[in-house]
Amino acid sequence: MMNNTPKTLLEIRNLSHNFDNKKALDNVSFDVMEGEFLAILGPSGCGKTTILRTLIGLLNTDEGTITMDGRDITKAPASQRNMGIVFQNYALFENMTVLQNVQYALKINKATRQGSEEVAMKMLESMGLAEHAKKKPCMLSGGQQQRVAIARTLVLRPRVILFDEPMSALDVETRLSLRAELKRIQKEFGTTMIYITHDQEEAFAMADRIMVMDEAKLIQIDAPMDIIEHPANGYVQRFVLDNLQIKVDSLVKYIKV
Amino acid sequence: MKKSSFFPQGTLPKLLLCIIFVAFVFFPFAQMVLKITPDDISSVFNSRSFMPALTTSLKCTLTTTAISVTLGIILAFCVNRTNIPLKGLFSVLLVLPMLIPSISHSTGLIVLFGTNGILRSVLGMTETIYGFWGIVIGSVLYSYPVAFLMFSDALKYEDGSPYEAAEVLGIPAGKRFFAITLPYLKKPLISAIFSVFTMVITDYGIPLKIGGQHTTLATLMYQEVIGQFHFGQGSVIGLLLLVPAVVTFVFNLISKKQSKMGYVTSPMNIKKKPLRDVVSFGFCTVVLGCLVLLLGAFALVAFTVKYPSNLSFTFDNLVRMFNTGGDRALQNSLIISVIVAFIGSFTAFVTAYFTSRMPSRLSNVLHLFSITSLAIPGIVLGLSYSMTFSGSFIYGTLAILILANLMHFFASPYQMMYNSLAGMNQNLEHVGLTLGINRFRIVRDVILPQSKATLIEMFSYFFVNSMMTISAVSFLANARTKPISLIIEQFNAQGNYEIAAVIAIIILFANISVKAIVAIVTGAIRKRSVKVFVKEE
Repeated sequence: MMNNTPKTLLEIRNLSHNFDNKKALDNVSFDVMEGEFLAILGPSGCGKTTILRTLIGLLNTDEGTITMDGRDITKAPASQRNMGIVFQNYALFENMTVLQNVQYALKINKATRQGSEEVAMKMLESMGLAEHAKKKPCMLSGGQQQRVAIARTLVLRPRVILFDEPMSALDVETRLSLRAELKRIQKEFGTTMIYITHDQEEAFAMADRIMVMDEAKLIQIDAPMDIIEHPANGYVQRFVLDNLQIKVDSLVKYIKV
Repeated sequence: MKKSSFFPQGTLPKLLLCIIFVAFVFFPFAQMVLKITPDDISSVFNSRSFMPALTTSLKCTLTTTAISVTLGIILAFCVNRTNIPLKGLFSVLLVLPMLIPSISHSTGLIVLFGTNGILRSVLGMTETIYGFWGIVIGSVLYSYPVAFLMFSDALKYEDGSPYEAAEVLGIPAGKRFFAITLPYLKKPLISAIFSVFTMVITDYGIPLKIGGQHTTLATLMYQEVIGQFHFGQGSVIGLLLLVPAVVTFVFNLISKKQSKMGYVTSPMNIKKKPLRDVVSFGFCTVVLGCLVLLLGAFALVAFTVKYPSNLSFTFDNLVRMFNTGGDRALQNSLIISVIVAFIGSFTAFVTAYFTSRMPSRLSNVLHLFSITSLAIPGIVLGLSYSMTFSGSFIYGTLAILILANLMHFFASPYQMMYNSLAGMNQNLEHVGLTLGINRFRIVRDVILPQSKATLIEMFSYFFVNSMMTISAVSFLANARTKPISLIIEQFNAQGNYEIAAVIAIIILFANISVKAIVAIVTGAIRKRSVKVFVKEE
């Protein structure tokens, strides 16, 4: 959980990005604290995925800077940023077993090759996937596959894990159990998590802080309670809070049934 | 605009591939067109043989297209929409004619219905097969499997739910056909008509001998070039033959862009209708019977002493074939086909990777270049090569035949791989990058292993087509480099049908072997993944 004196891990300053002269990110600045769970919330096309891809280095930064622990990583290649990513559609290596998926990155690197199988196996055990080690990904359920994707990136012990709408393809029950799982991982490994979603209820249930976006701009970044008590503008009230109410109501109904 | 990605876009290799297509498709073609003189044009159009050839071509091709497409659609319905037994067997055997050169179909028909035709004497026919109907029947045999495959594909992936909805609404079966099936089949139908038309009108192998006195545009072009070295006039006719090919190409390009990927929400429910099944089974059996007759004729003629006088069994014809240059030709064919299959599969994989998984503007250009060969008939490509490369060091070697086949057959395997790669998760390389695994390793360790089945399919496509092609290579081969498919013509011309039949059987045998190996290997790949599943569960 967060310390009493939270340390700034990432500093994002004046980030802008254009796709064919259309603004995808418009001068966005924010900080990410060490060990926190930050949800980025917004409708599709608001620029949240662009932030994610820029942070991890899958997209060039047109303008602005990103620093980690005071080190400028704006131009660093993706593999040098000490970040991992989990995609909505898992992107597992279908031709490899679950164990091989998790072991692969360790095996490639000379420094981690030795004993990589044990390390990968341990990771699978801690994710509750040990019994599936020898299976191919296609034989697992959606939730299990997502846990393999998390294990695959977690095994490299990244400082930050980015999630790109990781639960959109899962059913409600799996979502709920995976949420608990993510919070547990955050606690156990102390990993900072940045979580993209368009689901208000998901953001409020999991995040330490929520960043609300609209049309390439950052609208508000605050703790959930602060957003509820002091929405920055009418958009936050409508898109975030009104929808949250509806979702919570239906979830309550679902649980009762 | 700024570059919006860290990774190299693969610009250099993409450019290199584009240059290869320019050098070996567009440049030779331009050479051919530019060398045409006004004299060539006027001498083609003023020659006495042109108009009859044009009308014969159009008549034969239109008749063939009507029959082949109808036959293809009926057979596709029989195999995909009825409950007849042995469906798998039918769908394999019905496409067998695709595995022998077009010219062999004319051999087979001559053996059956020619002057000394086996069936002709049995049936007491007065007419021979030579002429219009010979060309049509031969061309139908050659082209209906293509139509059959296209319709089978369409019917296999048609969604069943509109039919269920229609049934619930009480719409009668006949109306359902006109309201749902026909509109659904419109595009495949037009596409099949264009494809069959193009492949028939550009083929010279069938009409060459069986046409008798009838000359078609393709045979006219062949004779102008091979017989009289009138390259310019050949080019003019080649340009005419290009027209249907380009129309087909453009239609397929447009209709592919418009079509959205459909999902099959519920499989087609095939009702029990005994009468329909009996009729369908009977129809398939009759068509198959005709094929057996044709292949049987090959076997009969190939392995008897002298048909029709002495029908005792012998391998003499095989020996004679090998002694009259067949050994060298077979060797040439195998070398060409294996090399084309290896280089072609590799190049098509690399090209498809760049275009499908590293999108950029250059990728779009490369993609278009990669499928352009579909718009150039083999006979035109061959002529353009012969006019461009004659006199160069590559001319008169196997290399130019390999090159011509590579370019000629590139598009289809390329598209197979393109579809397969585009369907894989788009984030695989991205995940790799964040894990410190570079693109090349992801390709080697993740993407290539998942493309195995498609690779094998591509290999077999290149091999089978190189084994039986006569179009792109006919103007490029000399006595030393001739592939086995090209020596059929000389034996046909000599009336030496025993040897022509032996060659057809050898090519069929080679192609069936490759297809069988492919089926076994891909089956094993599939089975292995199933086994892992069973063991673990």
